[in-house]
Amino acid sequence: MNDNLFGSIVRRRILSIIIIAFTALTVFQLFKMQLLDNYSYQEKSLENSVKKVSIPAPRGVFYDRNFNVIVSNKPAFTISILPSEYNTQQNKLVENIMNVQEGYVSNLLDINRKYSPFVPLKIKRNTDFSFIAWLQENQELLEGIDYEVELQRDYTFGITGSHIFGYTKEISASQYKIKKSIYDMGDYVGFSGIEKTYEDLLRGTKGYSLNLVDSRQRTIGRYLEGLEDKPAVKGNDLVLGIDAETQLIAEKLFENKMGALVAIEPKTGEIIAFVSSPQYDLSKFASVTSGFFWDSLSTHPSKPIFNRATQSIYPPGSTFKMLAAIAALDDGIINERTSINCPGGLQFGDRFFKCLHVHGNISVVEAIQKSCNTFFYQLILKIGLERWAKYAREFGFGKKTGIDIPEEISGILPDSAYYNRVYGRGKWTRGFLVSLGIGQGELSATPLQLAKYTALIANDGKSVEPHFARGYIDNKTSEFVKLPFKEIILDIDQHVFDLIQEGMYKVVNVPGGTASIAKIPGIDVSGKTGTAQNPHGDNHALFVGYAPSEDPKIAVAVVVENIGFGSTHAAPIAREVMRTYLQKDIDQNEKLNPIAKKVN
Amino acid sequence: MKIGAKLHDKVDLGILLPSILLAIFGLLAIYSSTYNHPTASGNFDKQFFWLLISFGVMVVIYFLPPHFIKMITIPLYSFSILTLLLVLVMGKTVYGSQSWLGIGNLGGQPSEFAKIALILFLAYWISRKTTEINSIRDLAVTLTAGFLPIMLILMQPDMGTAIVFGLLTLFMIFWGGISLFGLFVVLSPGIVTFASLFGTLSLVITLIVILAILIIFKKDLFVSATVFVVNIAAGFFFDYLYNILQPHQQKRIETFLDPNSDPLGAGYNALQAKVAIGSGGLAGKGFMEGNQTQLRFIPEQWTDFIYCVVGEEFGFIGSLIVISLFLIIFFRLFKLSATTSDHFSNMVVMGILILLFIHFAINIGMNVGITPVIGLPLPFLSYGGSSLLVNMSLIAIALNIHKNRKRYD
Repeated sequence: MNDNLFGSIVRRRILSIIIIAFTALTVFQLFKMQLLDNYSYQEKSLENSVKKVSIPAPRGVFYDRNFNVIVSNKPAFTISILPSEYNTQQNKLVENIMNVQEGYVSNLLDINRKYSPFVPLKIKRNTDFSFIAWLQENQELLEGIDYEVELQRDYTFGITGSHIFGYTKEISASQYKIKKSIYDMGDYVGFSGIEKTYEDLLRGTKGYSLNLVDSRQRTIGRYLEGLEDKPAVKGNDLVLGIDAETQLIAEKLFENKMGALVAIEPKTGEIIAFVSSPQYDLSKFASVTSGFFWDSLSTHPSKPIFNRATQSIYPPGSTFKMLAAIAALDDGIINERTSINCPGGLQFGDRFFKCLHVHGNISVVEAIQKSCNTFFYQLILKIGLERWAKYAREFGFGKKTGIDIPEEISGILPDSAYYNRVYGRGKWTRGFLVSLGIGQGELSATPLQLAKYTALIANDGKSVEPHFARGYIDNKTSEFVKLPFKEIILDIDQHVFDLIQEGMYKVVNVPGGTASIAKIPGIDVSGKTGTAQNPHGDNHALFVGYAPSEDPKIAVAVVVENIGFGSTHAAPIAREVMRTYLQKDIDQNEKLNPIAKKVN
Repeated sequence: MKIGAKLHDKVDLGILLPSILLAIFGLLAIYSSTYNHPTASGNFDKQFFWLLISFGVMVVIYFLPPHFIKMITIPLYSFSILTLLLVLVMGKTVYGSQSWLGIGNLGGQPSEFAKIALILFLAYWISRKTTEINSIRDLAVTLTAGFLPIMLILMQPDMGTAIVFGLLTLFMIFWGGISLFGLFVVLSPGIVTFASLFGTLSLVITLIVILAILIIFKKDLFVSATVFVVNIAAGFFFDYLYNILQPHQQKRIETFLDPNSDPLGAGYNALQAKVAIGSGGLAGKGFMEGNQTQLRFIPEQWTDFIYCVVGEEFGFIGSLIVISLFLIIFFRLFKLSATTSDHFSNMVVMGILILLFIHFAINIGMNVGITPVIGLPLPFLSYGGSSLLVNMSLIAIALNIHKNRKRYD
């Protein structure tokens, strides 16, 4: 047959074969895709369309000892860009509306170029609501720009507390490596203060929602009506020993002053008030920390970041006289009747160590009351360096108190090993000791250590390591869970404490005492002033004290830098703090004294 | 004689019913893929409206007197060329291609209607008693008739439709009885062009092979030399052709060679289409339940990727039903062509068959990933008024031929 013929059998067959062959190929391909490889395509399809969006857990809030909120959370808008969809021609417009400098957006996009263009990049936290409103109006125009609501710390409850609370920071790459299972990049972690110490309690558990997304990763619904979503679990709320009212007064009293104050409840070791001055504005850390803000803080001459209550060391001055007295009494070197003659100072070798007055024959209680230097110059020579250092160590000097914030140093407690190390064996003399007797010389302590020491004296040698957190409110059971802290029980005779407390009572309450200014009508206050010599300027004013004397509920240590006498400058601050805390015990009709008026 | 048999004698239900079923399948798929789409949600209504219009037109065509269709071929072809010219001058640009002509809301793609005109004209020309397809002159006329609309369509530019016209013309020549050498002359420039896609070496090798074949055919030197020169010219013409393609069309060719090279660019649709179909499984995810479809992973899915909706929501079973319906139409058209002794009718029916098959093969092929992504609608199913109207008209022409098959001589 001639296959050149129109529509021949051969041509008909060729066409049939083409149709059948193609159809067979298609059916085979469908069989392979839909039946053999169905599972892997299904997985891909699900990956395509379901996006896991993690829901950050709100951090636990901070309560004060009376369950008043002192730090909470507030929502803030974070703007992000999805580089794969974002049109960079909009940069100028966006920068204008966001009120940031030119090049801000392109710079950020540039820096993060190596990351996936399909992952949203956070470009600004804590954005004004006006921008969000504008964004929603112009959504069509601004593909690839979106916002989310994030939670940030709210510090609007009156207390600054910058050195107590600390702040959170975006997780570092190295931290993230270790704790991948808990955090995602971009998460915030406690970086200093209580935020850091109690990170595990405060953090909570992140949740996630499974969203249906379209091809451009835009959310258009919920996967399985949200059945598989996991809600975020809020962190545990922390209950602090801080008393909001007292803390507020303490912060006000330190305005325009440098120094620190620590107030402790002697029986429990709970910190009632805690100030390191100057402070800084934590709310600046709540949003993105600008480089400028950080630089201005870290280079400021008054060092606001530095925690003066736990990281700054001061010679304790006369506030340390009780320690020598305790050592001597407890070891039987002296008793309450032992008297030492004060002719106005002590000649030791070729040096004359001065006293403020000629006190004549003076007992230990009187020596504390009148702050007689001569008594203690002589006393420490009798005690000896090692014995003195041993007692100082028992009260916690020369080592960290173990407070529940990470920023703390040990201070300096000199002993023979210390002098040998610094000056060399045999290169130092007993003359070095004389100054130590009155809390000068190379002895240095943090205000926190002084507060702990005062609390131990007030409560007869029994206390608990100083701490901020009393406990937390369990986020599952809503029950208050007390946190455990180490108890401190000193093996010192009660009689010794009675004598020391008597001396400190007299400091405030007996005419001739150095701190009558610390008196609070209706409440007995005990204390001791101190004035630490400062080779770089005016002396530092110190005061340690507690109240009520008979049943101490608050022990305070105050240091005010470069200001002069402790009695004039530190004692009134301590008095107001104690008065505020004990207000409920005080007769409402008492007259306010001049400084209290100024504060209020 | 039974009524059913009588009806079947008048109307080829094997052609009509599958076409209607496919159109209904298409309506379902369009409904599903546009249901929650912000801009395309009206498409179902529009398509439904066009289907009703199509039925009306079908009835008119079905009742046209015998020979009427043959009579209007030349005016229809001329009119088509005119509209294709017109669309270049004053056409609307849709998706980067100037292919749309209309007054107010009414309008369509002239290239769609030109398909009918070309089938009818080539059928008329080749089946003329005086036409000798193996003569250079008549072959040249045939090729010119085919390539005139192709050039105009390429200028829109609409690569997919141009390919359809090219393949259609080649097939009509093939069916018209061209000799093996004639076929070689027609096909070899295309092969050379395709070979040049893969670089200079493959072009040179192909030209050597063509030279060898020319020697085997032992035609006279003038003819052989002419064919060879045309082939060389075709090789260089490719460069020109490639350059007039839009960048996205060039990208499509590259992506076909390696679809994974650009998973989020030009290859995206092809990959997402495979995911949609593959995840459908045996019975599919259910009507309106396909997440790839409902979540709009495939842009403009209701047009070229409508088959994915079927594959995802109705699974392997649904996919096979669609293919089977097409196969029924193809083989009924085959049978119809065999029962008409009239050359013109036979050519027309085969033209219709091959046109539908080209669309079917390329469209489903690109959906399942065995042919390149060329923008072609799937007959009866894809959204688009002109396309549906033209395909239904072609079915109506076939039905008309079936009704009058005994009257043609």
